Amino acid sequence: MSDFVPMAQITEAKQALDRLRANMRVTIRGKDDIIEQVMVCLVAGGHLLIEDLPGVGKTTLAYSLARSMDCAFSRIQFTSDLLPSDVTGVAIYDETVKEFVFKKGPVFANVVLADEINRATPKTQSALLEVMDRARVTIDGEPHAVGSPFMVFATQNPVDYEGTFPLPESQMDRFLMRLRMGYPEASDELIILRTARGGYDAIALNPVVTRTEILGLQSLAQQVFVEDTVLDFILKIVSATRTESEFRAGVSVRAGVALRAATQARALVHHRDFVLPEDVTELVAPVFAHRLGLARQTSDALEERRAVSAALKRIVASIPTPQ
Amino acid sequence: MASLPLPPEPIAAAPGRVASRRPQFTADELHQLRWLLGNVLTLLAVGTVFYMDVDAWTLMALTSSAAIAALVRPTLPARVPRFVHTFAFPAIVTFFAADVWLRSELLPAMVRLDMLLLLYRTISYRQRRDDLQIIILGLFLIVIAGVLTVSLTFAAQILFYTGCALGFLLIITLTDPAPANAAPPGSPVVAGAVPPAWAVHTNWPHLFRRLREVANWRVLGFGVVLFAGVVGVSALLFLAIPRFQFESSMLLDRFISKKAKSGFNDTIRFGDVTDIQQDNSVALSVDVSDQSQIPGTPYWRMLVLDSYEQGTFRLSSRLRLERFDQERTASFLVGRAIPRPGPTVFWTFFLESGVSRYLPLLGHFEKIRFREPQNFRGAATLALVALRGDPVTMTAYQVEDFDLSGSVRDETFSERWRNRAQFRPSDLSLELRLTDDDKSALERHLNEITGGERLPAMQTAQRISAWLRGNHEYSLTPRIPSGERDPLLRWLGARGPGHCELFAGSFVLLARTAGFPARVVTGFKGGSWNAYSNNFTIRNSDAHAWGEIFDPETGTWLRADALGAAAGTQAEEARGQAAISARMDRSWTARLDSLRVFWYRRIVSFDQRSQVETLRAVKDATQNSGKRMREALERALAGLKGWAMAPWNARRFIKVLGAMLGIVLFGWLWFEFGRAWWRTVWQAGGGRGGDPVRREASQWLRQIAAAEVRRGALDAGRANGPAGPGRPDVFAAVVRELQRLRFGARETWPSPHAVFRRARQALRAYSSGSYRISQP
Repeated sequence: MSDFVPMAQITEAKQALDRLRANMRVTIRGKDDIIEQVMVCLVAGGHLLIEDLPGVGKTTLAYSLARSMDCAFSRIQFTSDLLPSDVTGVAIYDETVKEFVFKKGPVFANVVLADEINRATPKTQSALLEVMDRARVTIDGEPHAVGSPFMVFATQNPVDYEGTFPLPESQMDRFLMRLRMGYPEASDELIILRTARGGYDAIALNPVVTRTEILGLQSLAQQVFVEDTVLDFILKIVSATRTESEFRAGVSVRAGVALRAATQARALVHHRDFVLPEDVTELVAPVFAHRLGLARQTSDALEERRAVSAALKRIVASIPTPQ
Repeated sequence: MASLPLPPEPIAAAPGRVASRRPQFTADELHQLRWLLGNVLTLLAVGTVFYMDVDAWTLMALTSSAAIAALVRPTLPARVPRFVHTFAFPAIVTFFAADVWLRSELLPAMVRLDMLLLLYRTISYRQRRDDLQIIILGLFLIVIAGVLTVSLTFAAQILFYTGCALGFLLIITLTDPAPANAAPPGSPVVAGAVPPAWAVHTNWPHLFRRLREVANWRVLGFGVVLFAGVVGVSALLFLAIPRFQFESSMLLDRFISKKAKSGFNDTIRFGDVTDIQQDNSVALSVDVSDQSQIPGTPYWRMLVLDSYEQGTFRLSSRLRLERFDQERTASFLVGRAIPRPGPTVFWTFFLESGVSRYLPLLGHFEKIRFREPQNFRGAATLALVALRGDPVTMTAYQVEDFDLSGSVRDETFSERWRNRAQFRPSDLSLELRLTDDDKSALERHLNEITGGERLPAMQTAQRISAWLRGNHEYSLTPRIPSGERDPLLRWLGARGPGHCELFAGSFVLLARTAGFPARVVTGFKGGSWNAYSNNFTIRNSDAHAWGEIFDPETGTWLRADALGAAAGTQAEEARGQAAISARMDRSWTARLDSLRVFWYRRIVSFDQRSQVETLRAVKDATQNSGKRMREALERALAGLKGWAMAPWNARRFIKVLGAMLGIVLFGWLWFEFGRAWWRTVWQAGGGRGGDPVRREASQWLRQIAAAEVRRGALDAGRANGPAGPGRPDVFAAVVRELQRLRFGARETWPSPHAVFRRARQALRAYSSGSYRISQP
């Protein structure tokens, strides 16, 4: 962090990110802010949880990101009978070599789309835990590294709770951000309606960013400078969530670190080699909201989401922004 | 679509958004602040009991401790059992009814009721109307106390109270639309055993830190200036409008019968005056119009005590009947002083409440004027005035021309003395109600003093005083041998120390034994001269008792203070400035007392003179300071002109040139190296936010944001759409550089000096309206 970044690298990063953004905009219309958040998440090396009603483009978003990069992509459709080994892979006995051979599961890719993650049993969900945290799978005591870069792109439907298993908090904490898609604008939706399309496979995108470039961006983001007052700002927000009476508990240390990483990534996405307070205020809600629960009972999940966001907004407003 | 240009980054707008976000209190913090202010107001209001003579000490202690406890632990009210809330209202009503019925005093009962209600409000969680109730209840107490005391404390208190109450009202208004999250609106706040969330989370140090962050000092400063301005204007108006009678317009004081705190009464037992001396509060303030008239040691006479019995001096009923006039209601009283040549000297007395109903005076006077009609009885021949009762408020009176000779002329008594054969000794202040043993003991002492010689009154007094001084020491803790005999004689017989009353009493007994009428006088001796407000301040600790002996030759009562200057020497004492400088008081107490006197002078006016003087003084001070400034400026200009006009020679020229070069060089050095050096010094310290470059960059960013907000408002009227073609991009580059200086790594900084210069240029160009300036 103390090593400053040469301007040339920043320019290169800017070009790569611009290409990525332009490419994604082809399929995801009218959602520039979402695209930007996804890019921030990618550059920060975090995992993303997308929450919304079915059919608003969650999966399309994941596809278009994966297809824009020169990366291995895999998709797991979570169902209640999905087993952990269906995710991570399994060791089977190979008669020819007379030993157990590890058959890699779908997580061995760079971008993993975990569709409707809350439909799977907790056991299967937790199979994702290690791989999300350490980017490796341990089968029979033997570690197997998954792809690098590695990004889990989970989607879930917050409203339809019938036959679902809500994600445990420990797993929530491992997602860098949670996003909502929301409906597109009417004009954008008209374009979508006009475009006849068969399915996800019909998404025709050329890879515009290489794997190496993504890794470079991720390491570059870690070098983005964060000034002391900005760090202090983050710290104040973190501790304010811990004293706020509306929350069941404050955010974890991991959350604070995640926020810092995310702001660095956002700075890079905005072609900066230093973090502005604005980066922090923009990212507090997506990074913190899914890690916080209300102390009181709410009627439904959406209500809780709204209350948490409002409380976060209030906390951020009550803390003086460094100027 | 893929080749769409990126949306222009909203850099220039970003600082605007950042700058406009001010920290705010959370709802919990507002509730905590509301609780804090409510309890502070309660404490302020309850504190007024100190000034009122109302028996409510227990309630005061209870309420203030409850308020403090509820401040320290805001969760406490939740622990108050439910039945307290159920029975509170009936209990309070019963208490009030019983109070009125038993004591039959309405106002004190109302004060107690008020405090009880306040107590109840501090031990329960308050809703909005309860908070408003606190303000009203507190205001009631403060106003009552203010009307009863008419003191400076009242003014200070009501100012402070008003400030707090205003803040309190603001917070009540703010918290109203945001109910505390634990208590849904409408539910009884008091009932639950569950404290609201804000109470559980109360952390006062944290709140004060937040208060510091949230406070908008500029607005706050403006508010304070506004408040001070309003108060100042009110004060000016107050000075300018004609006086109105404070007390007569409000009859509240009639409701409370106030007892004298220490009090000089018609009867003085030994030790009474000494008790008064323990009290260091101000008893009397005196303004003197002609300071050259001030005596070296003023003796403020209040009361003469001529009858002695069993260790008690008292004002005999005979003297009271004969010498005091009938009670009358008037605003002035003419005295017996012989008119003095020269201008009249005015002595204005401000007698504190609870001192005595006898007015302190220096002797015979020409005239006393009261601020308003008073019920009093005057004893002109004794030079005494007694009000009907102990005044509850400060009493002001003005005396014209005192007789400062130190002796009191008494024609009535002279007349009686000439025909003394027709009177009993008790009528002649000669009576000794003592046993024969005691009388003979007195004779023995007298023989020792005078050697059996018959001396004139003055010498007798001097000898007795000298003898008393020689045999006894002054002490506030007297040693009187125990025994059956009269206490004064026991003290006289031994050689133990004694206080002023013992000295005065012994003197009187000895003088009477010698055949001279004598009496004890009580009052105050001396006092200090307040250096700030230029007036006499006499404290209760100046209380004193001394003797007066009748001199048949002159027909006057001579003052004889065994502990002070010899009798009849007052005329020779230093007067005026010498007397003042000996008593000068420049302590902090004096400073506070001067405020009190200032206040008295302002609210008490005997005529329009002082008022006009004050206004004139204010006007003169304003004019003079302006004039002085102009003069100083003119002098400086004239000096400069003279210096420039002086003949120039080469040496002088070189000197001036050298000095100018030196200044220029210093400036250049500072701009080139000094500031950089200064920044490095700061950077070495590494203080957070202390870095001057970061600070300055932050200032520029804020200025630019403010300029954009202003201009944005203008543009909005002309063109709609934020990204119109004419949208200025002047700031984009410089803002980026400023942001780098503010938030970027130090190694990547551009030259701060140059960036700041560009920022200044951009701002200037922007405000002058030329949007497109050339970017450096």
